Amino acid sequence: MPKVKVNDIEIEVPAGTNMIEAAKLAGVEIPHYCYHPHLSIAGNCRMCMCEADSPRGPMLEIACNMQAREGLSIKTETDKVKAVRKSVMEFLLVNHPLDCPICDQSGECRLQDYYMDHGQYDSRGVDPKVGKHKRQDIGEHIVLDAERCVECSRCVRFGDEVTGTGDLRLMNRGDHTEIGMFPGTRLEHNYQGNLADICPVGALTNKEFRFQRRVWYLRETDSVCTGCSTGCNTKVCHQEGEVFRTLPRRNDDVNKSWMCDPGREVNSVVGSLTRLLRPTVDGAPVADATAVLAARIKAAGPGRTGFVLGSSASLEANWALLQVVKANCVGARVFRVAGNNAGSIVKSDDFLMDADKNPNTAGVALLADWAGNVGDAEALREADLALLVVLEDDIVSRLSGNPAEAIAYFGTHTNPTAELASIVIPVAHVVEMDATYVNRQGRVQRARRATNPQGEAIPAYQALEKLGAALGRAPGTSMPTATFAAMARTVPRLNGLDYKALGAGGRPLAPAPEPAAAPAAEAK
Amino acid sequence: MDFPRILSGNWDTPDSHRLAVAKSRGVYSQLPRALAMAPNDITQIVKDSGLRGRGGAGFPTGMKWSFVPPAEKRQGKSVYLLCNADESEPGTFKDRYCLWLDPHLLFEGMAIASRALDCHVGYIYIRGEFRYIARRLEEALAEAYAAGLLGKNILGSGHDFDLYVHVGAGAYICGEETALISSLEGEKGQPKLKPPFPAVEGAWRSPTIVNNVETLAVVPWLIQHGAAAYKALGTEKSPGTKLFSVSGHVRRPGVYEIPLGIPMMQFINEYAGGLLPGRTLKAVIPGGSSVPVMTPAEVAICSMDYESINTNAGSYLGSGGMIVMDDTTDLVAALTNLLRFYAHESCGQCTPCREGCGWMHQILCRVRDGEASEVDLGTLRDLADNIHSKTICFFGASAAMPVQSFLTKFRSEFLDRVQRRGVGAA
Repeated sequence: MPKVKVNDIEIEVPAGTNMIEAAKLAGVEIPHYCYHPHLSIAGNCRMCMCEADSPRGPMLEIACNMQAREGLSIKTETDKVKAVRKSVMEFLLVNHPLDCPICDQSGECRLQDYYMDHGQYDSRGVDPKVGKHKRQDIGEHIVLDAERCVECSRCVRFGDEVTGTGDLRLMNRGDHTEIGMFPGTRLEHNYQGNLADICPVGALTNKEFRFQRRVWYLRETDSVCTGCSTGCNTKVCHQEGEVFRTLPRRNDDVNKSWMCDPGREVNSVVGSLTRLLRPTVDGAPVADATAVLAARIKAAGPGRTGFVLGSSASLEANWALLQVVKANCVGARVFRVAGNNAGSIVKSDDFLMDADKNPNTAGVALLADWAGNVGDAEALREADLALLVVLEDDIVSRLSGNPAEAIAYFGTHTNPTAELASIVIPVAHVVEMDATYVNRQGRVQRARRATNPQGEAIPAYQALEKLGAALGRAPGTSMPTATFAAMARTVPRLNGLDYKALGAGGRPLAPAPEPAAAPAAEAK
Repeated sequence: MDFPRILSGNWDTPDSHRLAVAKSRGVYSQLPRALAMAPNDITQIVKDSGLRGRGGAGFPTGMKWSFVPPAEKRQGKSVYLLCNADESEPGTFKDRYCLWLDPHLLFEGMAIASRALDCHVGYIYIRGEFRYIARRLEEALAEAYAAGLLGKNILGSGHDFDLYVHVGAGAYICGEETALISSLEGEKGQPKLKPPFPAVEGAWRSPTIVNNVETLAVVPWLIQHGAAAYKALGTEKSPGTKLFSVSGHVRRPGVYEIPLGIPMMQFINEYAGGLLPGRTLKAVIPGGSSVPVMTPAEVAICSMDYESINTNAGSYLGSGGMIVMDDTTDLVAALTNLLRFYAHESCGQCTPCREGCGWMHQILCRVRDGEASEVDLGTLRDLADNIHSKTICFFGASAAMPVQSFLTKFRSEFLDRVQRRGVGAA
């Protein structure tokens, strides 16, 4: 690997590494607008200019179009470089409207940030600013304000290179250049939210987030999207228990820097009217539904209760369910309903949106394979049961005929299964707990607790801990750290994984013993 | 002065654009010979001749050709030869005469170049405003094809070279070679990042050579007379003859072919007919609107070649588009007019040029109209410095250099205008 120098700090990076990335590895931030790690190089913003050593002495060059090669040395803080940055900022702002007080980008705007870091001059702009088209409704989720645009062309390249829709274009020339759509067209893809994310300024904003909250009030918590089995890495942005938006978090192995629009809407259901908020038995609120459920399991007698693992539920919840059954319910039968898409409009593509709308299908398969004797939907339909305990999945619509006399449902939202259930136990949504999920690639990923659970909901693994205790033996699953450690010790394909070491980006499962057991889909 | 008129020799012959007339004047006489030569030998002659690109940058043509990777390193990609006929630099109007009066000389030059470059497809990219010339080129092309001088198996040599005329939409920036390529590809005419350079990865990501009309039209003469004969003309670093287009306050504006190296005043007086009666020289832009302006003192010591203009006046020979301005010229208004052009033509890609050209124009309008202060002149100078060489292509520098040079060399005119605010509204 070639050695390069950034401000005389020598680092070794793979040949061809973009110098903005190489500098980052050396701990040096090079300001930029148009460069994006997952888009082609445009080199038009001129903000990343650095001095590179050459046989003719130091030359001002853009870092984004320099690739690491042996001996390359760049300097990012010389007087010349600072002067260029200052002048680029001046050029960018000379026609920029003073929208900051009403602009949603305020607080996370590169114009603001870089002005504070590299600009800070007295304005010399006394001539009239160039006016452009404002507040253009260009798609279901996006509003375009051409006046705020810095013409970095990230959105143009996103349309050309990621979605392949080629919808946004730079129109006109000179200081009248502006981003626009072809007349009569609108954004028609499912990845519009990314345009607002990659826009370094307030030109492209997300309709759902416009005027909702100032970003500096928001806290960000790392999470994973539970909208489908892809498991895009996300940041949940919340304030005082309310989630305001979900943003993609970079993970080059899963979703790069992107996520789909339906995935962003997942957070909107956290506090929705369909949320299950308190435990009920036969329609009436009760203080402790798990005790009632335990009594009914006992009353049903051995072998007359079935348990359904949840492909929407976390690894910890499914593990807790298996442990409750193992310790307390000898002879009970366990099922899983694979590929369950109940209640969702199946949108899928060959990019991030998977047809399997469950975030943990692979995790359930993993635990089911380890536990053995887990029946499928067919076996469930034929089983003679007095009571069926269902973990999060909406299974009723998948089963023809009533498989059991009574249903107990652990779930987040009301749905046909919850409506049919005689016992309902509300559990926490993914943003309300620490938990792990296994995505379609077989990657174990962590979601972290962002907000408190709504109503009387608690994480499913804690509800199951209570159920186990009521039945006689608690599974010891109230703490996700300990639960994951127990799984990692016990389940061979999780051996060696450590909860903390899963980190921000997750870790792949050990390969399945038989090849082709787990279908792996590659992120685009 | 006695010298061969390499480029303009046929211009005075009636119907010189017709194939029969062109052939009677010796056009295409070198094609059979060149097709029989080894490709490298042709490139070697061009290299030895010292021919420099006539589009403005003056890059050695033979060296440019040698940058095309050899066939075994091209991964099966074709080589393209593009003739840059997007002549649009203000003050430059030489190529249109080559195209209008001697299209076959260009075709012959391109066919010979195609042989040297192992290239089988060429394009003449002509600016949108030259539609009438494009029509003549198409007619000439049809004649050449019918005579077997272009197309498949030229003159039975086994060499194929298909030539197309592509009309641009009329954008100055499309004369920049990578913008020309973008436009030819069907994209918006915007320059591309270098590296990669076009000779390695140009049109459709294939090796591409872009040469000016005048450059390519010299090639047949080089084949006929050899490199030494060419080097015998002009100066050591600026060999050969060159077309100059003179406009402005001279008695005989027009296009003149001269051997490089003759004194600039001699050129202005003997060829362009000198200044109008009773006028004195105020300024000269020697090589198209984007090069730094020259003062009369600089004009007096410069000769018409690349090195003299650069050494003595810090300017450039450029495309050979000379603009002569006498003492009646309002230089503030002249510069404002130039910047109106650059503000309009900036492609809008790079921040400094996109925002800066319009800004400079706005300030200049105020200076011209007596509504600016000395502070504005400082701002203007800063903006030009901040645009120069901070952009993807040379356009930024092209817009900055006139501002820098006018402000430096004719500072008193600008100071006068800002000190007498409100006076001298155009």
